[in-house]
Amino acid sequence: MSAQLTNEIIDLLKDKETTKVLATLDADGFPHAVVKQSLQPGEDGNILYLELLESSRTNKNLVRSIWFDRKVAIALKGKDGRSWQIKGKPVKTHITGPLFQKHYTAVRKRLGDVDLAAVWVIEPEEVIEETFAARRAEEERKHPLFTHLDRLARQ
Amino acid sequence: MAVALKRNREAELTLEEVVAKYPDVPRLVALKIDAQRRGVHYTEQALSVVDDSVQMRSPYIFGSRDGEIKPLPESLILRDGTSILTDPTPIEQDPYLVDLVDGRLALVDNGEPVEFVELWPKPLYYDKQTSSGIPMSHIVSARPQRLNIFQSSFCHFWADKKECRFCDIVNHTKQQKDEIGVPSRLKPRDVSETIREALKEPGRFTGMCLTAGSVLKGEQIFDREVDYYIEALQAVGENFSTKKFPSQLIASAFSEKQLARLYEETGLTSYTSDLEVLGERLFNWICPGKAQTVGYREWQQRLIRAVDIFGRGNVGTGLVGGVELARPSGFTSEEDALASTLAEAEYLAENGVTTVFIVWVPRPGSYFRDQQNPSLEYFVRLARGLHRLRVKYDLGVDFDDYRRCGNHPDTDLSRLL
Repeated sequence: MSAQLTNEIIDLLKDKETTKVLATLDADGFPHAVVKQSLQPGEDGNILYLELLESSRTNKNLVRSIWFDRKVAIALKGKDGRSWQIKGKPVKTHITGPLFQKHYTAVRKRLGDVDLAAVWVIEPEEVIEETFAARRAEEERKHPLFTHLDRLARQ
Repeated sequence: MAVALKRNREAELTLEEVVAKYPDVPRLVALKIDAQRRGVHYTEQALSVVDDSVQMRSPYIFGSRDGEIKPLPESLILRDGTSILTDPTPIEQDPYLVDLVDGRLALVDNGEPVEFVELWPKPLYYDKQTSSGIPMSHIVSARPQRLNIFQSSFCHFWADKKECRFCDIVNHTKQQKDEIGVPSRLKPRDVSETIREALKEPGRFTGMCLTAGSVLKGEQIFDREVDYYIEALQAVGENFSTKKFPSQLIASAFSEKQLARLYEETGLTSYTSDLEVLGERLFNWICPGKAQTVGYREWQQRLIRAVDIFGRGNVGTGLVGGVELARPSGFTSEEDALASTLAEAEYLAENGVTTVFIVWVPRPGSYFRDQQNPSLEYFVRLARGLHRLRVKYDLGVDFDDYRRCGNHPDTDLSRLL
């Protein structure tokens, strides 16, 4: 079931100054989390990830995900400190065709003599705000007992 | 020319049953195998959405299951980037349908959509001609990321009726020449011009493959064939700034001297020579020309010696998977066929030669035209078995993988290596 990205998240994905992390799972179920600045919004509500290296662990893990229905997670942290996690799954990879060639040309214009292995399409399934202030407020509301007593002691 | 061969699939496991039984094999790869095994039939509705951006069927070294040359889409690609190389199949043979479902193309079986698919995009050079006036699509054909150069489509084994029993190369060549004017031998200049044009499209191709029929002439057997390939590869090489370029040659079993010439005088990076079927008894029956001129053991040894020249992971042999079960002299049990094939493939893997397979399609222009290919389960097990040998012996297959070839279910699995 897909989740809708808000305009705020779409803007974060577009912003070059946002720190973007993609976490995938390897064959043994170990997480593999790497900063991937090529994460960007697609035109259909999905997220695109440009993979430059065919043999990268992330690429293999994404192949494993699309084959065996394993989830991935994306963490975004903007320059204002707000952060989000998006859980989802790869639903398509472009290794040829107009979209692939468009990004191939663009990425080479931007980065120089690099290759492009694939344009992955990740469908968001869940969006969670991870900004500390927001998470703290949520926890205090839902779990008021989760605190140390000294914090409540009379001064 | 089509042969009405009605499959009896009642005793076989279905796609979903095979996927459940072999959870380590992705459903998309199993589906690819099944679509190759059974073929596809395009509905009128599906064809109504085909536009000029789609690559239509272009000249190929082998014919199609319906025995006809018609303007139909070349083939399909799945959402994981897996290519399905399959061809139009008479509906009486129980193929998958390619139909329109919710406005998108899908593979449909028993009235149920199985998976959405896309058609191959047409490369820009397909609309151009060489300076000699030949459509470039007749010189070099395309796959989603590969260029195919079929430098000559005649095979000398056919002259003595010693052709491989599954092969229709010469019959198909005659048909292509008569019906659409495809040249039976390419001129280096046409090849060079076409490659130059293909390379103008950024991000379109990652490799190329040259292949043709066997040519026995020369001072040593195959010398003339080697000359032809060197000529073609040098024409290709004119367009690259590097001496070597990602390329595969699928050719006869050459001597070390011939291989050294190919390696030193051209930009070739990998070498494949197809044994077609593993096991001397079956090789002698199914490939009588190859058996008589070189022999099974010597063919194997030539492959192994090629590793010294091209390096581990750059030498392979291709099988027409399933032909080992052909009647009347093939295995009668899929279990025995698998065990024998994988044992022979392991010997090659130990010696640095990787084995890949294509799904056997009994084509109407071949000697085995009235036969039936094995079950989906058999092909899935063959793909797993060959993949596991590559894992066990740490053998790469970059030159013949899902992207640089796309026709081997076993090397599709190598995306995880």
